[in-house]
Amino acid sequence: MSNQKKRNFQIEAFKHRVVVDPKYAEKTWSVLEHAIHEIYNHNASGLSFEELYRNAYNMVLHKFGEKLYSGLVTTMTAHLKEISKSIEAAQGGLFLEELNRKWNDHNKALQMIRDILMYMDRTYIPNAHKTPVHELGLNLWRDNVIHSSKIQSRLLSMLLELVHKERTGEVIDRGLMRNIIKMLMDLGSSVYQEDFEKPFLEVSAEFYMGESQKFIECCDCGDYLKKAEIRLNEEIERVTHYLDVKSEVKITNVVEKEMIASHMMRLVHMENSGLVNMLLDDKYEDLGRMYNLFRRVPNGLSTIRDVMTSHLREIGKQLVTDAEKLKDPVEFVQRLLDEKDKYDNIISQAFCNDKTFQNALNSSFEYFINLNNRSPEFISLFVDDKLRKGLKGVSEEEVEIILDKVMMLFRYLQEKDVFEKYYKQHLAKRLLSGKTVSDDAERSLIVKLKTECGYQFTSKLEGMFTDMKTSQDTMQGFYSSHLELTDGPTLVVQVLTTGSWPTQPSITCNLPAEMSALCEKFRSYYLGTHTGRRLSWQTNMGTADIKATFGKGQKHELNVSTYQMCVLMLFNNADRLSYKEIEQATGIPASDLKRCLQSMACVKGKNVLRKEPMSKDIGEEDALLVNDKFTSKFYKVKIGTVVAQKETEPEKLETRQRVEEDRKPQIEAAIVRIMKSRRVLDHNNIIAEVTKQLQSRFLANPTEIKKRIESLIERDFLERDNNDRKLYRYLA
Amino acid sequence: MPPRASKRKTAPPNSSSVTSSDGRSVFSKTKTKGLGKIDRLFNSYANSSSGEIDPDGIVALCSDLGVDHTDVRILMLAWKLKAAKQGFFTQDEWRTGMKALRVDSLSKLKKVLPELEIEVGKPSNYEDFYAYAFRYCLTEEKQKSLDIESICELLNLVLGAQFRPQVDSLIEYLKVQSDYKVINLDQWKNFLRFVQEISFPDLENYDSGLAWPLILDNFIADFIRTLREP
Repeated sequence: MSNQKKRNFQIEAFKHRVVVDPKYAEKTWSVLEHAIHEIYNHNASGLSFEELYRNAYNMVLHKFGEKLYSGLVTTMTAHLKEISKSIEAAQGGLFLEELNRKWNDHNKALQMIRDILMYMDRTYIPNAHKTPVHELGLNLWRDNVIHSSKIQSRLLSMLLELVHKERTGEVIDRGLMRNIIKMLMDLGSSVYQEDFEKPFLEVSAEFYMGESQKFIECCDCGDYLKKAEIRLNEEIERVTHYLDVKSEVKITNVVEKEMIASHMMRLVHMENSGLVNMLLDDKYEDLGRMYNLFRRVPNGLSTIRDVMTSHLREIGKQLVTDAEKLKDPVEFVQRLLDEKDKYDNIISQAFCNDKTFQNALNSSFEYFINLNNRSPEFISLFVDDKLRKGLKGVSEEEVEIILDKVMMLFRYLQEKDVFEKYYKQHLAKRLLSGKTVSDDAERSLIVKLKTECGYQFTSKLEGMFTDMKTSQDTMQGFYSSHLELTDGPTLVVQVLTTGSWPTQPSITCNLPAEMSALCEKFRSYYLGTHTGRRLSWQTNMGTADIKATFGKGQKHELNVSTYQMCVLMLFNNADRLSYKEIEQATGIPASDLKRCLQSMACVKGKNVLRKEPMSKDIGEEDALLVNDKFTSKFYKVKIGTVVAQKETEPEKLETRQRVEEDRKPQIEAAIVRIMKSRRVLDHNNIIAEVTKQLQSRFLANPTEIKKRIESLIERDFLERDNNDRKLYRYLA
Repeated sequence: MPPRASKRKTAPPNSSSVTSSDGRSVFSKTKTKGLGKIDRLFNSYANSSSGEIDPDGIVALCSDLGVDHTDVRILMLAWKLKAAKQGFFTQDEWRTGMKALRVDSLSKLKKVLPELEIEVGKPSNYEDFYAYAFRYCLTEEKQKSLDIESICELLNLVLGAQFRPQVDSLIEYLKVQSDYKVINLDQWKNFLRFVQEISFPDLENYDSGLAWPLILDNFIADFIRTLREP
């Protein structure tokens, strides 16, 4: 009943009574302050987290955040100052332990305080741009403890002392170190760096400077490097155990600089134990260590490489200019191969197959091999020796390995065309005397040369092989169509195509009647099947096997040259002949005749002839007789074979002249080829292009190229440009 | 009407009767009056049987001009005449040359010589003259080079006045070296370039790596070597 008044139902804003009581803030704060004290005094268990949180929350809510924050700062600071004193009071080794303990305590306290004051951390602090609680706690620790005057320097010196102790071999408490260092890291990277790392690096530098100085005075290179490696590994280990991982590269830099970089040159050049000695003695382990250490410092590897290169060039130069060693070409080349093997091993075992070192090795070899202009000849002689006898009984794989090594030396040669000339000469001799150990090996080498230098290089060589085969077939055909000859002397003819074989002046001597008849029969047989060809007998290149019976009835089979055969056959019809008579009858040129008589009359064991007078040389007035007293252990006696030998000086000059002559048309052909495609080109570029094109055969001389250009201008192949005098123009 | 002078292609049998004392043509007032004078001048030196001025004729001409017959100006004259063979002037060459020089008498020829020198000296002509000098000395057909002796003389004659020190050194070298027994046109042309372009005797701008003929490279190397020796 009654009137129900309409009441405006208003919901009013909740008006909490603004606490004007200033004492409220004070009271609340003192609760919290007390709590902080308790926390620091390890009495936190009696506190109610919820209540404290609420108190803090209320303070902030009622806009007393400022008071709370500054109170926190003051309180914490006071506590930390006390803590600082207690740490200072610690004696000796206990100092760090105390510091560590107090730090742990502080962290725990800080955690709790932060939890309690979390609301302030999230609201008041960001708004007021103040430092958050946790960070504040760290900063206060830093400022009041770590940077306190009595602690700061003591802390540092203790830490450094411990490190030093460990470096001198003592055992230290690594766990403690780790904790302290971690504390510094937690306080901020600038604290870690300024309060520890920087001084640590400085002190380490001094330490290692001193140590390296000490070692370098008393150790040899290998030992020093061992010590350096040990120290380096130690430092790395130290970092993993108790330092900031970012310090690793810094401390290793210090060690590298002090122990390696500063003494690099002295180490490398150390007498009796330096790099050169290590190389000479194949000290793989030491070299490997040096490589690994030096690669860490700037210019380390290039220093090793440079010393190795100059050493190699020195040895190489000595080797190729040592007259003693050059007496035996085969020995010489073997030494080169041995040296190459040695260094290949060093590079693979100690230098990690580093390509830059391989290149240095190659360039050094290329340098000194070409210092001696007889290298091409000698390498060919080496190959000749191997193919004649050296490879006898060697397995196929071994053969390939040796030939590959020879090819590698060949690649270093600048004058490959000179090699080609000699190789041809030596191959011809081998083929004609039938003295090759393995046909397969010969062909294998030709294939390798072809792969390296192209078809033109080897086409003539292959032609030589073809000729030999064809000749065999020809001889078979000859004898099967002349069955009546099977009882007479056996003739073996090799028909050589002029262009493929090294040119020889062909002087025909007078063959004994039996032979000349036989040869004529062959000539007509051959020309019957090959019209239009011309045959000329190369009597200076042949050999003969003849049976001889001497005065006391001793029989021998003599293997002689064709010239020698002609001379000996004369004695079937005369007991004594003068030099002049022999010369006349045989028609052999004087120098060859003298050599041939000498080998039959003046060499012990081969003296099938006797000479009057008994002098060493053949004089034109001498007379020759059969040596009836000739004896030999062997039934078959070899007198005078056409073996490949080192050339005499005049022969060498002649060969070189021929090579020079051969080069001229090659240079001209290159010039014309280049100008034909370019039409106009300047001088320097022509020289460069021509040199490049001819590189695979020989190193073209710029002066020679210029001469050829002028010759081509004279013959109207090229002309100079009228305006730009550096240009040449191709005249079609 | 006086008889017209016919264009004579060859010299008349007796040349002595043609020239009068003052050199005037007997047959004046003809179209070919100038040509006539030129021809008469030609005939006064030409060899009657060959119909050309031969070396003797040239010697006579030189003495009349007051110039030594080895003087470079005769060479210049030959150039102007485009004379093909050394020591000889054909009638065609003579006519062309005289007309180009605009002279028809000995005295005029004498007067024009200094102008000729200047004309030759012009850069546009000089190279041509220089090359001509070489070709002029080639006597055999298909001959392409001159022997060293002749080259030295020619160098002296053509370049000596203007480039005395270089020419002297070069001649000295050419005489003692043994690489080359003859010089071809290409080398000859480059001698001119050399004296014109390369500063002497310091040789500062010479680069043997460039396209100078080898003979000059060798000359420079030798020259530098002798400089070093006291």
